[in-house]
Amino acid sequence: MLDRLAISMRASHVLAILLLAAALCLAALGAALDDSFYLRLGTEALIFAGLALSVDLLLGYSGALSLGQALYFGIGAYVSALTLMTVPSFWLAMAAAGLATLVAATIGGLIANRVRGVYFALITFGMAQVVAKVVYNTRELGASDGMIGIPVVQIQFGPFAISAGNPVGFFLIVLAIIMGLYGLSAYLLETPFGRVLTALKANERRVPFLGYSVWRARMAVYVFAGLVAGLSGALYPVLRGFVSPELMFFATSGNAVISVILGGVGTLIGAIYGAVLLVILKSIIGSWTEHHLIVIGLLFMLCVMFLPKGLVGFSRPWIERRIVRVPSQEVTASAVSPAIAKSRSAS
Amino acid sequence: MLTIRGLHSHYGLSHIIQGIDLDARPGEVIGIFGRNGVGKTTLLKTIAGWVTASDGTVMLGEHGLCGLSPDRICHAGVGFVPEDRRIFPGLTVEENLSLGLLQVRGRPKQDECRAIDAIYNRFPRLGERRHQLGTTLSGGEQQMLAMARVMVGEPRLVLIDEPSEGLAPMIVAEVFAIVRELRNRGAIVLLVEQNVHQALSVADRFHVVERGKIVFSGEAGVEADRTRLMQLIAV
Repeated sequence: MLDRLAISMRASHVLAILLLAAALCLAALGAALDDSFYLRLGTEALIFAGLALSVDLLLGYSGALSLGQALYFGIGAYVSALTLMTVPSFWLAMAAAGLATLVAATIGGLIANRVRGVYFALITFGMAQVVAKVVYNTRELGASDGMIGIPVVQIQFGPFAISAGNPVGFFLIVLAIIMGLYGLSAYLLETPFGRVLTALKANERRVPFLGYSVWRARMAVYVFAGLVAGLSGALYPVLRGFVSPELMFFATSGNAVISVILGGVGTLIGAIYGAVLLVILKSIIGSWTEHHLIVIGLLFMLCVMFLPKGLVGFSRPWIERRIVRVPSQEVTASAVSPAIAKSRSAS
Repeated sequence: MLTIRGLHSHYGLSHIIQGIDLDARPGEVIGIFGRNGVGKTTLLKTIAGWVTASDGTVMLGEHGLCGLSPDRICHAGVGFVPEDRRIFPGLTVEENLSLGLLQVRGRPKQDECRAIDAIYNRFPRLGERRHQLGTTLSGGEQQMLAMARVMVGEPRLVLIDEPSEGLAPMIVAEVFAIVRELRNRGAIVLLVEQNVHQALSVADRFHVVERGKIVFSGEAGVEADRTRLMQLIAV
């Protein structure tokens, strides 16, 4: 038997497979046409999708709006850049960035999880701003110019190696890492811990009376989300060859929140779709006008007004209905959300 | 054995629980009666850790509960069924039930499945609706779910606040049958209930609370005590 949350998650996986298929098509086309621009754009979109994923873990599953998730993205990027400039090893840079963001997110979580709601949002915003300003004024980290000259590394896979400068190869590696992070997040949310997070979002005061520590659950998801953002950020300097304090600024965090809302809060895969869409829109509209933010802002407003559940939130029920209809799935009609059951009976 | 001595608690500057002493043995149902606003619910919330005790001790067996966080009190064997049931929206019946499993730490997966199956055998309606959102159940079914969620945790002390509130008489009878079942399993039940007649049918003893203090204690089976109870709460 599949329960309601499992059906929703399975529908998200279908959308993830579609995204994966589209990405593989892009990689094949890019390789055939010897393109680097669209592959680099796709790689950047996937990297920011990782950041959006971390925002959705917090907002969609524990109800905590982080306005400073770029902090961990930036820390991951800077630690990765520093490691690559010292020892040109991609995996070492990823490990160092992961470890640094784990420590940073634990410290950040201890501070931010003392409060709830709007105060949580403001504290996360404040922490990111403070660290961004420190980085902005630290000469050793390149100050306002950031750090340039990050070498193009060879990414080792046992006896094989792929150059980070190879657009197709690096795109596929980033795709694998971001989809891996998506898979890990989805797995985590399907464990009892995921149910606790859903309960936490619904009624935080009731959860402790069932034996769960709200603080521990909030810390765990905060640290995990920080790790996801940090590992995504670690990929940025490998792609761009530089890092700058802007990566920690509010615009980066704000874009991640917009991506999640565009894609659909609490859908997980929606965050990835939203980020890909946002990066593509910024690139396309940015090539027409320098006032692209006006257009994106309007699109965002329209999305909130007419698609409040986001693109995935809008399309997922259709996929859920198809999953329920597959005879091999042992799903009863009652396993579907009432809205779906209603629409089924209507049809 | 539940032993409460000199328990005090406050809401801000308001002194709600003003020195309550109470004892209960395993397999006993204790009714807590009194008019509205005298501190019955606050007493339960203080035991459960929702409201911090300002003084006194609460011992469940060897465990001191005062000063512990609600999740630790829960792990010590205290189950709380609040008045408004608190079914989690967005979770199915089964998901709501499975949240109750963590009350017992380190229980093997097989035993957890058995505990859930036992609940479905006891409450077939919940079994039929296991994949339905908890909040789409009727009021009575939600009450069953709230009590079942506590039961899967096999608590030694169950605090139940107004379980019959807003329920049809047939459902009320079922709710009190569950209370009897908890007693038969050896749990201590503290039952706060406005429906005194029904509560007395399951209670072994009772206490009457007024202004945060116990003003009368009696045996549910003793007619004189029941008469005095009715006078005190003016039913």
